[in-house]
Amino acid sequence: MKKINTSNGSKVFFTLILWAVTFIICLLVVKEMSPNKTVGLILSFLPTITFAIFIYNFIKGVSSMDEVEVRIQLEATAIAFALALLMIMTLGLLDSVVILKKEDWSYRHLIPYFFTFYFAGLFFSRRKYQ
Amino acid sequence: MKNTIKVERAKKNWTQADLAEKIGVSRQAVNSIETGKFVPSTVLSLKMAKMFGTPVEEIFQLEKED
Repeated sequence: MKKINTSNGSKVFFTLILWAVTFIICLLVVKEMSPNKTVGLILSFLPTITFAIFIYNFIKGVSSMDEVEVRIQLEATAIAFALALLMIMTLGLLDSVVILKKEDWSYRHLIPYFFTFYFAGLFFSRRKYQ
Repeated sequence: MKNTIKVERAKKNWTQADLAEKIGVSRQAVNSIETGKFVPSTVLSLKMAKMFGTPVEEIFQLEKED
Protein backbone atom coordinates (compact mmCIF):
# COMPACT_ATOMS: atom_id res chain seq x y z
CA MET A 1 0.00 0.00 0.00
CA LYS A 2 1.38 3.41 -0.89
CA LYS A 3 0.64 6.90 0.37
CA ILE A 4 -0.45 9.64 -2.01
CA ASN A 5 2.69 10.55 -3.94
CA THR A 6 3.11 14.31 -4.35
CA SER A 7 5.60 13.98 -7.21
CA ASN A 8 3.02 11.94 -9.13
CA GLY A 9 0.50 14.68 -8.40
CA SER A 10 2.87 17.31 -9.80
CA LYS A 11 3.44 15.23 -12.93
CA VAL A 12 -0.30 14.86 -13.48
CA PHE A 13 -0.84 18.60 -13.00
CA PHE A 14 2.03 19.49 -15.34
CA THR A 15 0.86 17.15 -18.11
CA LEU A 16 -2.70 18.45 -17.71
CA ILE A 17 -1.45 22.02 -18.22
CA LEU A 18 0.65 20.85 -21.17
CA TRP A 19 -2.42 19.28 -22.79
CA ALA A 20 -4.56 22.37 -22.10
CA VAL A 21 -1.94 24.68 -23.61
CA THR A 22 -1.48 22.41 -26.66
CA PHE A 23 -5.23 22.26 -27.16
CA ILE A 24 -5.69 26.04 -26.87
CA ILE A 25 -2.82 26.77 -29.26
CA CYS A 26 -4.11 24.28 -31.83
CA LEU A 27 -7.63 25.66 -31.46
CA LEU A 28 -6.47 29.25 -31.95
CA VAL A 29 -4.35 28.36 -34.99
CA VAL A 30 -7.19 26.38 -36.58
CA LYS A 31 -9.78 29.10 -35.90
CA GLU A 32 -7.77 32.26 -36.55
CA MET A 33 -5.23 31.27 -39.19
CA SER A 34 -7.41 28.99 -41.34
CA PRO A 35 -4.64 26.56 -42.27
CA ASN A 36 -4.95 24.16 -45.19
CA LYS A 37 -6.75 20.85 -44.67
CA THR A 38 -3.60 18.79 -44.03
CA VAL A 39 -2.25 21.17 -41.41
CA GLY A 40 -5.74 21.48 -39.93
CA LEU A 41 -6.01 17.72 -39.56
CA ILE A 42 -2.56 17.48 -37.95
CA LEU A 43 -3.47 20.25 -35.50
CA SER A 44 -6.77 18.53 -34.72
CA PHE A 45 -4.95 15.37 -33.66
CA LEU A 46 -1.93 16.96 -32.00
CA PRO A 47 -3.64 17.44 -28.60
CA THR A 48 -4.33 13.70 -28.62
CA ILE A 49 -0.64 13.09 -27.96
CA THR A 50 -0.42 15.42 -24.97
CA PHE A 51 -3.77 14.13 -23.69
CA ALA A 52 -2.49 10.55 -23.89
CA ILE A 53 0.57 11.59 -21.84
CA PHE A 54 -1.72 13.25 -19.29
CA ILE A 55 -3.99 10.22 -18.99
CA TYR A 56 -0.99 7.88 -18.69
CA ASN A 57 0.36 9.94 -15.80
CA PHE A 58 -3.11 10.20 -14.24
CA ILE A 59 -3.58 6.43 -14.26
CA LYS A 60 -0.04 5.90 -12.98
CA GLY A 61 -0.75 8.43 -10.24
CA VAL A 62 -3.97 6.69 -9.21
CA SER A 63 -2.26 3.29 -9.10
CA SER A 64 0.31 4.70 -6.66
CA MET A 65 -2.40 5.87 -4.24
CA ASP A 66 -3.64 4.03 -1.17
CA GLU A 67 -6.83 1.98 -1.43
CA VAL A 68 -9.11 4.68 0.00
CA GLU A 69 -7.91 7.24 -2.52
CA VAL A 70 -8.22 4.69 -5.34
CA ARG A 71 -11.83 4.08 -4.33
CA ILE A 72 -12.47 7.85 -4.23
CA GLN A 73 -10.98 8.27 -7.72
CA LEU A 74 -12.98 5.33 -9.06
CA GLU A 75 -16.24 6.70 -7.71
CA ALA A 76 -15.43 10.20 -8.95
CA THR A 77 -14.75 8.84 -12.44
CA ALA A 78 -17.96 6.79 -12.37
CA ILE A 79 -20.00 9.84 -11.36
CA ALA A 80 -18.31 11.97 -14.04
CA PHE A 81 -18.94 9.33 -16.70
CA ALA A 82 -22.60 9.06 -15.74
CA LEU A 83 -23.11 12.83 -15.76
CA ALA A 84 -21.27 13.18 -19.08
CA LEU A 85 -23.43 10.48 -20.62
CA LEU A 86 -26.55 12.16 -19.28
CA MET A 87 -25.49 15.49 -20.77
CA ILE A 88 -24.64 14.01 -24.20
CA MET A 89 -27.91 12.09 -24.26
CA THR A 90 -29.93 15.18 -23.35
CA LEU A 91 -28.14 17.38 -25.86
CA GLY A 92 -28.58 14.73 -28.51
CA LEU A 93 -32.32 14.76 -28.00
CA LEU A 94 -32.51 18.54 -27.63
CA ASP A 95 -30.67 18.88 -30.92
CA SER A 96 -33.62 17.26 -32.65
CA VAL A 97 -36.12 19.60 -31.02
CA VAL A 98 -34.39 22.98 -30.95
CA ILE A 99 -31.44 24.35 -32.88
CA LEU A 100 -28.49 24.50 -30.49
CA LYS A 101 -26.14 27.34 -31.33
CA LYS A 102 -22.83 25.96 -32.51
CA GLU A 103 -21.04 28.91 -30.85
CA ASP A 104 -22.32 27.68 -27.48
CA TRP A 105 -22.73 23.91 -27.91
CA SER A 106 -20.01 22.63 -30.22
CA TYR A 107 -18.02 19.57 -29.11
CA ARG A 108 -15.19 21.62 -27.63
CA HIS A 109 -17.62 23.59 -25.45
CA LEU A 110 -18.46 20.38 -23.63
CA ILE A 111 -14.89 19.83 -22.39
CA PRO A 112 -15.15 22.12 -19.33
CA TYR A 113 -18.35 20.31 -18.33
CA PHE A 114 -16.56 16.94 -18.29
CA PHE A 115 -13.86 18.28 -15.99
CA THR A 116 -16.51 19.90 -13.80
CA PHE A 117 -18.33 16.55 -13.53
CA TYR A 118 -15.10 14.85 -12.46
CA PHE A 119 -14.42 17.44 -9.74
CA ALA A 120 -18.05 17.26 -8.61
CA GLY A 121 -17.68 13.48 -8.37
CA LEU A 122 -14.42 13.92 -6.46
CA PHE A 123 -16.10 16.31 -4.02
CA PHE A 124 -19.01 13.95 -3.24
CA SER A 125 -16.83 10.88 -3.10
CA ARG A 126 -14.29 12.50 -0.75
CA ARG A 127 -17.10 13.61 1.55
CA LYS A 128 -18.32 10.04 1.75
CA TYR A 129 -15.01 8.68 3.05
CA GLN A 130 -13.70 11.58 5.09
CA MET B 1 -18.21 -3.99 10.38
CA LYS B 2 -16.87 -2.46 13.59
CA ASN B 3 -13.28 -2.06 14.70
CA THR B 4 -11.16 -1.24 17.72
CA ILE B 5 -8.44 0.68 15.90
CA LYS B 6 -8.85 3.74 18.10
CA VAL B 7 -8.42 1.63 21.22
CA GLU B 8 -5.39 -0.14 19.80
CA ARG B 9 -3.86 3.18 18.80
CA ALA B 10 -4.44 4.54 22.28
CA LYS B 11 -2.68 1.51 23.78
CA LYS B 12 0.38 2.31 21.70
CA ASN B 13 -0.07 6.06 22.05
CA TRP B 14 -0.09 6.45 18.29
CA THR B 15 -1.84 9.17 16.34
CA GLN B 16 -3.67 8.37 13.12
CA ALA B 17 -0.70 9.85 11.26
CA ASP B 18 1.70 7.54 13.14
CA LEU B 19 -0.31 4.47 12.24
CA ALA B 20 -0.72 5.67 8.66
CA GLU B 21 3.02 6.01 8.25
CA LYS B 22 3.68 2.55 9.72
CA ILE B 23 1.29 0.79 7.36
CA GLY B 24 2.03 2.96 4.31
CA VAL B 25 -1.26 4.76 3.76
CA SER B 26 -2.51 8.32 4.19
CA ARG B 27 -3.89 9.65 7.48
CA GLN B 28 -7.23 10.11 5.74
CA ALA B 29 -7.25 6.41 4.91
CA VAL B 30 -6.74 5.49 8.56
CA ASN B 31 -9.51 7.91 9.55
CA SER B 32 -11.92 6.42 6.98
CA ILE B 33 -11.25 2.91 8.23
CA GLU B 34 -11.40 3.85 11.89
CA THR B 35 -14.75 5.63 11.51
CA GLY B 36 -16.18 2.69 9.61
CA LYS B 37 -16.60 4.57 6.34
CA PHE B 38 -14.23 2.26 4.47
CA VAL B 39 -13.62 -1.46 4.78
CA PRO B 40 -9.89 -2.15 4.36
CA SER B 41 -8.46 -4.89 2.18
CA THR B 42 -7.21 -8.11 3.75
CA VAL B 43 -3.61 -7.03 3.27
CA LEU B 44 -4.15 -3.71 5.00
CA SER B 45 -6.07 -5.34 7.85
CA LEU B 46 -3.27 -7.83 8.37
CA LYS B 47 -0.67 -5.04 8.30
CA MET B 48 -2.61 -3.19 10.98
CA ALA B 49 -2.91 -6.32 13.09
CA LYS B 50 0.81 -6.95 12.76
CA MET B 51 1.61 -3.37 13.81
CA PHE B 52 -0.66 -3.62 16.83
CA GLY B 53 0.53 -7.12 17.71
CA THR B 54 -3.10 -8.17 17.94
CA PRO B 55 -5.02 -10.83 15.98
CA VAL B 56 -6.98 -9.30 13.12
CA GLU B 57 -10.27 -10.77 14.46
CA GLU B 58 -9.82 -8.73 17.62
CA ILE B 59 -9.47 -5.50 15.64
CA PHE B 60 -12.27 -6.07 13.10
CA GLN B 61 -15.60 -7.68 13.97
CA LEU B 62 -18.65 -8.37 11.87
CA GLU B 63 -21.89 -6.74 12.94
CA LYS B 64 -25.32 -8.40 12.88
CA GLU B 65 -26.30 -6.80 9.58
CA ASP B 66 -23.08 -8.03 7.96
